[in-house]
Amino acid sequence: MNIAFTLNGKPQELTISPNEKLTEALRRLGVYSVKTGCNEGACGSCVVNVNGRAVKSCLMYAAQVDGGCVETVEFIGSLDNPHPIQSALVEEGAVQCGFCMGGLIMSAKAVFDKNPSPTDEELAIHLDGHLCRCTGYEKIQSALRKVSSGAAS
Amino acid sequence: MKLIAYHRPAALAEARHLLRELGAAAMPLAGCTSHSFVKGDEERIGVDLAKIGFDTIERADGGFIVGANARVADLQAHRAPGWVLDRVALRFVSQPVRNMTTLGGNIARIFPWNDFPVALLALNATVTIAGEEDRQLPADIYFDGQPARHFKAGDILIRVFVPDVGAGCGFAYRKDTLVSMAFSRLTAAVWLQREGKTIRDARIALGAAVPLPLRLELVEEAVVGKVYSAELIADAMERQIAALRWRSSDAFSEEYVQQLARAHVPDALEEAFRAAGGGRK
Repeated sequence: MNIAFTLNGKPQELTISPNEKLTEALRRLGVYSVKTGCNEGACGSCVVNVNGRAVKSCLMYAAQVDGGCVETVEFIGSLDNPHPIQSALVEEGAVQCGFCMGGLIMSAKAVFDKNPSPTDEELAIHLDGHLCRCTGYEKIQSALRKVSSGAAS
Repeated sequence: MKLIAYHRPAALAEARHLLRELGAAAMPLAGCTSHSFVKGDEERIGVDLAKIGFDTIERADGGFIVGANARVADLQAHRAPGWVLDRVALRFVSQPVRNMTTLGGNIARIFPWNDFPVALLALNATVTIAGEEDRQLPADIYFDGQPARHFKAGDILIRVFVPDVGAGCGFAYRKDTLVSMAFSRLTAAVWLQREGKTIRDARIALGAAVPLPLRLELVEEAVVGKVYSAELIADAMERQIAALRWRSSDAFSEEYVQQLARAHVPDALEEAFRAAGGGRK
């Protein structure tokens, strides 16, 4: 079957299998920031934003985004021009292997898009679907707190 | 399960027609977050209900009409006097999953990890199924076994009426998991009406630790009309525990979940009793 959607701001058409998950379809399109970790909705490394909401792409059929808008971390910043969330994570030393970061940044972006100054509790609630094995979470929290306070570059 | 075709009808009538035509080959899709856990390679045709509407939460006389396509994140974000499902939603897996799972999807088929059946049982909700005629089923009937038996080909769960928790009433919810977003080992929900120190009425529901969600009728019978007493509740819990069939797994024994019930159900009763006395609803 064929689907059409907006991927990172550009129109995208794709032939998919009805059973194909969004994670697989995105990686087939070369969107390699979307990682398959647990493949059962637990780890959060596959999180992308669909129509402004953070979702686990390993649990979503690609067919479900037909007509929708998908954003991944490739869209929001680059090495030369990082998003403030990305800058803060780097500045706070919150990134080590980076496997979880694409998904985590997209969840954080969904929060900040709705509320530029979320509380620690709100951040914790909205990021509870992400597992990071490297940094412990404290540095991630302090980086996001920095964004929330407007101190991120 | 493997999807071999996918349809996304734009209206209820179209969805009902498709489901009737496809019969047993059809798999209604209402969020899809459970599909990764459905074993086997059975081939099915997906009928995605996401575009047929029924995704709002509206005030109604004595409660709320919740569309079956309302996502758990919508229940979490909703605020209104007498609305308590935000508390259940907040404990549901994780935010990205709450952004995907719908209320209808969570109650159309009962897996041990479904969280909303216990809350809806305790709150005495009513489920509406669209068929040849719309049918309204009280939660006690709807959840008395797998809900599939209430659906004929072409029937679709469209909304749930959730009574509000009014003055003199309280609600409490407990969910026990190994880690915060793990599947439930036990869920318990209590709705309670209080008059002074007496429990005037109560609905107590348990899930996950038992094969299907159910009401703790022995505990309800023991406490209704009585002055609140921790000893009374503890005694009733022992009788109830002995009367139930419990679920176990490689990760926990029957004795363990029974112990969870001994801890969580009385705690939830106490919280609901305090709330009914003027504290948190």
